[in-house]
Amino acid sequence: MRVILYCAALLVACAAPAMAHHSFAAEFDSKQPVVLKGTVTRMEWINPHSWIHLDVKNPDGTVSKWMIEGGTPNTLVRRGFTKDSLKEGTEITVEGFRAKNGALRANGADLILPDGRRLFIGSSGTGAPKDPGDGR
Amino acid sequence: MRPVVLATLFFAAIVAADHLLAQSPAAGSPAQSERRESKGAAASAPVPRTPWGHPDLQGTWDYKTITPLERRAEYGDRQYLTDAEVKTLEDAAGKRMDLPPSDEQPNQAGTIHATYLTDPGRRVDDDRRTSLIVDPPDGRVPALVNAGGGRGGGRGGGGRGGGAARPGGRADSWTDRSLLERCITWGIPTASLPGLYNNNIQIVQSPDHVVIVHEMVHDARVIPLDGRPRVTGKGDTARNYLGESRGWFEGDTLVVETTNFGTKTNYRGANVNLKLTERYRRVNASRVELLLTVEDPTVWTKPWTVKLGMRPSEGDLIEYACHEGNYGLRNILEVARDEEKAAAGQK
Repeated sequence: MRVILYCAALLVACAAPAMAHHSFAAEFDSKQPVVLKGTVTRMEWINPHSWIHLDVKNPDGTVSKWMIEGGTPNTLVRRGFTKDSLKEGTEITVEGFRAKNGALRANGADLILPDGRRLFIGSSGTGAPKDPGDGR
Repeated sequence: MRPVVLATLFFAAIVAADHLLAQSPAAGSPAQSERRESKGAAASAPVPRTPWGHPDLQGTWDYKTITPLERRAEYGDRQYLTDAEVKTLEDAAGKRMDLPPSDEQPNQAGTIHATYLTDPGRRVDDDRRTSLIVDPPDGRVPALVNAGGGRGGGRGGGGRGGGAARPGGRADSWTDRSLLERCITWGIPTASLPGLYNNNIQIVQSPDHVVIVHEMVHDARVIPLDGRPRVTGKGDTARNYLGESRGWFEGDTLVVETTNFGTKTNYRGANVNLKLTERYRRVNASRVELLLTVEDPTVWTKPWTVKLGMRPSEGDLIEYACHEGNYGLRNILEVARDEEKAAAGQK
């Protein structure tokens, strides 16, 4: 299993700028950052959060099935992410934080395509829209 | 698996924003705000009206902004940002949204969403104020009546186990969790205040009702305008998560007064005595102003008022059917049970 656990020597767990839908601290462990490289088997485009299902090959040849929590569908759409953006079979790398109980679930913090592009990042040519003009 | 030591401090977006906010250049002035409000030619245009003569507030309106609810202490009694401060804050907000994590903008440990998976906006409010709270003048939520008395609950209503030793709050049952985690409601006024995403409402009018649809957890309030008495006021038997709203027009302003919240709700410690007064005014073709007054004499020493400038939304509301796949609630309970088993095994 190609999982790299980062020990954050100086990790500061911070409050969200505003409350998210559910508590991070109740579900995920900020002291268990993970980097997962695997194959997308499907993406659940559901509320309140999207979930990416990822097959991660272990060194012994077995496969671990991970679930990665993503943004809300509303936000993904508004950031230019559609159902066609992440197709089954795509090899991706996900950086995130693992479930506190060691389950094969993680909160996805970053998602990197094989060509190095990071999804959802407007300045890297993914087409994510900017904030709409407000007349100022 | 191989451990790697990260020699990087993780800062969440709020910390970066707070540090930027803490920079306090020269004083701004109300005149800046006045110029901003008056420069639009549409400001003096007639208020659009419905066929039956009411001011037309209809549409989908976006209230996201990076202006914080409360003024930071570093600003003292200063109500407005300078041009330089606005630029600094908005540049930083854009960077948080657009750039990949780096030493300056690392992934956010301790938050559910990476910054660029959220939609909190990139702009300060139209007036360039240092806080959304306009009254009291210090831009802060007033002191609690029972300061230190432990009534300051979650903003979303219920749960997260106040006082629980467990990180993330008590999770003995789903009933310990917040109304939002349970996908019941985000509640008001929380759903009316800027948050991480879903910062949109839709207003629909008829001659005798106004409907306000909140994108967050897709709540809708159907508000009578005909002066009918409240239904749930008698006997204290049928209080509502969203309270009970009644509306009327004062000149060109729609006033919506909401009371009769239930005991299961919790806005900063307020519930059954909470009274919200919303004042919606069509400022011009592209702006609706909301003045929201929050009061509960058993919680705060005085009422307080928030001002929001709402602009046309990017598009229609998108259904946020929260209960569709709420794995998070199940996962939180599963984690709690596993923690209990692990603790029992250590004894």
